[in-house]
Amino acid sequence: MTTPDEIVAMELARLSATFVAQLPEQVQAVEDDMTAWLDEPGDVERFEILSHRVHQLKGSGSTFGCPGVSRAARALEQSLGAFRGEIVAGRLPAPVAVESAMTELQNEARQARTRSPDPEASP
Amino acid sequence: MVNDALQRILYVEDDADIRKIVSMSLEMVGDYTVAACGSCADALDVVDDFDPDLLLLDVMMPDVDGPTTLSRLRRRASAADAPAVFITAKVQAVDMAHYKRLGVFDVIVKPFDPLVLSDRIGQIWQHYRNREHDDAG
Repeated sequence: MTTPDEIVAMELARLSATFVAQLPEQVQAVEDDMTAWLDEPGDVERFEILSHRVHQLKGSGSTFGCPGVSRAARALEQSLGAFRGEIVAGRLPAPVAVESAMTELQNEARQARTRSPDPEASP
Repeated sequence: MVNDALQRILYVEDDADIRKIVSMSLEMVGDYTVAACGSCADALDVVDDFDPDLLLLDVMMPDVDGPTTLSRLRRRASAADAPAVFITAKVQAVDMAHYKRLGVFDVIVKPFDPLVLSDRIGQIWQHYRNREHDDAG
């Protein structure tokens, strides 16, 4: 008989596989949000949309078995956070550190995909 | 009114997948009844009918964050006295002092293991009940 713990563990495994499978789209969404923000780096709303998406990726990565992605997202979140005061004050940032952190996130997402089995593949 | 046994948890988390696995864990492993809400507005819609024993809130959410959600829930009689637990990765001393000023009873630190979350919530509830008992005595 399957216990409640086992049912939750199976659902966690299923959600983790789905998370990994959807990582390219999620990272692409971060890239798109970053492109939109860099077009208008003084736009607080664009900045907050980007920051929140990165924050979600950080949390999902740690919950769904991708600590490297979570770490890279945290680094990107911290890089963005360093600009928050500048943007609110109306000063435009030089986002070199942010772009570097974005590259690291892309790398971690690729590695997570490489390590993970294809959830659509037959057992 | 506070029950001796924890039964109803009002849970607010904007990430749908995390909301799903946490709710599932609390319901299936902990045998709690959970009202899972994706936003402050959803929580305010259900809180009076649900009459929660405990509030479990993500801190960083778009539009309305956890602290603001808590303050709005506190204005409802049904959630005025329920202990509040935040889920967050922001646990530096300055953050914890802020949560304490808000009346948050305890904090679950991210990342957390969904499979042991029910045990952690049970411990927090026991701690809360013990403190209530001590205060009453």
